[in-house]
Amino acid sequence: MHGRVKVKSTAQQEEEKRKEREKKLKIYVAARDACFSKRKEGIWDDEALQVTQQLLSSNPDFATLWNYRREILMHLETVRDEEEVQKIYQAELSFLESCLKVNPKSYGSWHHRGWVSTRLPRPDWARELGLCDRCLSLDDRNFHCWDYRRMVVKMSGVPVDQELAFTDRLIGSNFSNYSSWHYRSTLLPLLHPESPEPHSPCREPRRASPPPSPQTHSHRVCEEQLLKEYELVQNAFFTDPNDQSAWFYYRWLLGRAEREEMISCVYVSRDEERVAVAFSRPVNAQSVGLLLVLDGQPQRVEWRSVHPRFKHSPVWICDLPPGTISDVTNEHNLTVHWTEKHTHRDCALYTGRSESWCRDSATDQELFRSELSVEKTSVLQSELQSCNQLQELEPLNKWCLLTIILLMRALDPLGYEKETLAHFQTLKEVDSMRSAYYSDLCSKFMIENTILKMEYAEVRVFSISDKNLTTLCHLDQLLLVTHINLSSNQLQRLPPQFAMLQCLEVLEADNNSIDNLEGLFHLPKLEEVLLKNNQISTLADLQPLASCPKLKRLDLRGNPVTQTANIESELTELLPSVTDLQL
Amino acid sequence: MGTQVKDVIIKPDATSTLLLDKHADYIAAYGSKKDDYEYTLSEYLRMSGIYWGLTVMDLMGQLHRMNRQEIIDFIKACQHECGGISASIGHDPHLLYTLSAVQILCLYDSVDALDVDKVVEYIKGLQQEDGSFAGDKWGEIDTRFSFCAVATLALLGKMDTINVDKAVEFVLSCMNFDGGFGCRPGSESHAGQIYCCSGFLSLTGQLHQVNADLLGWWLCERQLPSGGLNGRPEKLPDVCYSWWVLASLKIIGRIHWIDKAKLRSFILACQDEETGGFADRPGDMVDPFHTLFGVAGLSLLGDEQIKPVNPVLCMPEDVLQRINLQPDLLS
Ligand SMILES: [Zn+2]
Repeated sequence: MHGRVKVKSTAQQEEEKRKEREKKLKIYVAARDACFSKRKEGIWDDEALQVTQQLLSSNPDFATLWNYRREILMHLETVRDEEEVQKIYQAELSFLESCLKVNPKSYGSWHHRGWVSTRLPRPDWARELGLCDRCLSLDDRNFHCWDYRRMVVKMSGVPVDQELAFTDRLIGSNFSNYSSWHYRSTLLPLLHPESPEPHSPCREPRRASPPPSPQTHSHRVCEEQLLKEYELVQNAFFTDPNDQSAWFYYRWLLGRAEREEMISCVYVSRDEERVAVAFSRPVNAQSVGLLLVLDGQPQRVEWRSVHPRFKHSPVWICDLPPGTISDVTNEHNLTVHWTEKHTHRDCALYTGRSESWCRDSATDQELFRSELSVEKTSVLQSELQSCNQLQELEPLNKWCLLTIILLMRALDPLGYEKETLAHFQTLKEVDSMRSAYYSDLCSKFMIENTILKMEYAEVRVFSISDKNLTTLCHLDQLLLVTHINLSSNQLQRLPPQFAMLQCLEVLEADNNSIDNLEGLFHLPKLEEVLLKNNQISTLADLQPLASCPKLKRLDLRGNPVTQTANIESELTELLPSVTDLQL
Repeated sequence: MGTQVKDVIIKPDATSTLLLDKHADYIAAYGSKKDDYEYTLSEYLRMSGIYWGLTVMDLMGQLHRMNRQEIIDFIKACQHECGGISASIGHDPHLLYTLSAVQILCLYDSVDALDVDKVVEYIKGLQQEDGSFAGDKWGEIDTRFSFCAVATLALLGKMDTINVDKAVEFVLSCMNFDGGFGCRPGSESHAGQIYCCSGFLSLTGQLHQVNADLLGWWLCERQLPSGGLNGRPEKLPDVCYSWWVLASLKIIGRIHWIDKAKLRSFILACQDEETGGFADRPGDMVDPFHTLFGVAGLSLLGDEQIKPVNPVLCMPEDVLQRINLQPDLLS
């Protein structure tokens, strides 16, 4: 079904082909029926092996015939002596080798080979590794063969460093080999795992076979090895700057460490008698064992995510029983326990205060920086210099531009903001097919920068107007924000995640293309919503606002919805709390 | 040292309109070639073949042209004692064809033609200690089979019969450095596998575990200058990979990261104006497999002549609404 070119042929050629196919069909059907009836009769003999062999050599995807062969082989195991069984299985391997030569991408053949190899009385794993070497030398991207190789390596205990050396060889002969880079990404964390203590040297390489599942989600590698890898990749992309494999790998190397699993913020509001909790990753609070203790007493509360769309969310809220904390003359101490992770966070609500919170700031967590330690900044700096050199030679190379942006972010996201924006502009021009990706990524980086600036200024105002934002992200970081200014961007919606802004009082979002307000959902403190010049076209689009009890001011000038008949009275009915309406 | 970008060139006179009538005629006629050599050779995947044909007919509003009763009887005859369903009569049951059979019966709103409890038992019996699924009793493990298992169970409304947590754990252990997924832990990322795993995580309500920005970047980099998408770096574009990449992007909420107009032109250029049907690439032989994924891809791109398709199950949305199944998508 793949890669079969359509060729024009004459009527006579067609007729000849038809006859030939008819003949082939007869032979094929006869052989197939012979196999099926033999199997039905429970015959497991050499002849059955022959007929299935004949069919499978031309049609190795006929899975049922491999099953039949396995039944026959298992039967023969019980009636022949070990020496004979060894020979039978060796013959099976030779047959398979001929199948794989014709059709190296057949799932059935590779699976059968694995099955035979494990049943062979005296397996010859060196031969199997040799077969993989030969097969990969013909097609170094055959993922069936790579997978078979990984199985052979596991079964025979080939040391990890030997396999890493194998990828060295393949990459050395051809940098453009995504499969080899991929294999490296699984081997390096085994051989040079990130050490538990941040500054200790790499552990001794382990000379054991990899564990059954070598994948870890962080895939982190110790720093020393990381530096060697940078060199290798640089060689690759200086040799062929347009080969994407090395760039993908490089971006992985530059990736940051996993965030620690923790409760990043606890917020309590006396007015609403409500607690909001932010986590370092999306969780389902109903199933992770979340426990709220108020003044030493465990509370029976119901946790809900900020929007019914989310079963997993980084922010969860609960209401306290009425009257528990409403008296301003009382002081209260809250603790939220994440029992599953044995972690907790305390928060004190003092006398006379209407709200309180306790959290780690984004700057403390180095949320948006590379995982490399500060001492190695010089290394990143020299990486950046190399990429800048390459960019001078290849000014329009998109891979290089994107990598420069990433390095700049790892080094100094705020300091390099201007250059970053300029590089994004070039990227959108040289790779216009993916301009929406670059716009979203640039938006993400600008939001990260604005969060950092807000943290340094220790304010609860998040202002990011006129930055060509196309998407919103990191909204869980804005749990405490009271004023947000998103004016003059290219936003099309306020997504459900927007409901994580539980403290929001004022929203400015004039001059966007917003036509969806799903995220303005049960925001208890929201008073002002400014949406001048957007794309809100129906009353139904405004429905979410009805869930915000304190909404007083709403500006909808310049939206299609203002042309609706009886708009003013309809709105008064929909949003009775609004006293200042501009249409 | 390096390799040139592999791609095809779309000729200026390539087809640029959608030939729905021809495609419907092509599929309607395909099943009547039962004595054809090529047709017989593909018997080992017949059940999936029927699913491809029927689904594309349904998407084009032409399902009534197929022989409903004959197909339902055929499926019944393919259910085995163990509960599993085979590609055809005389073949062995397998998860791949069990899913296809259940998908077909959902199109026909006739799931009760099967012994559903036995199907569920069969699937449950194939789950391994580590949460993975074997395709059949011979033990081949692949994340494709994890998808087949949960997709079948979701269509039957029986997801709770397997160990979902373990199944999720296994699929996540197949996540790679590029955010993609492979067949087994350690296997290279591949668009078909990414489709299966993101679909699996959608059906199990675990899409938040995907690194959507990283994976979305890898996926949108599959688009080549011709507009077509490939399944892995440095490979040729292909209509079926275009579907797998596009559907994955839709599932993780990043479909706008590719150039939709260019992809549409590529898919349209893969039509055969004479015979109807879509090929993998312009100028190649057509088949029902690429015809389904061509039409389904155009549906995801918003073509209004085609019914909306669900990106997770590759079935018409109206069918899933009927059985009240709405898999999660990231926004
Ligand atoms: Zn294809």
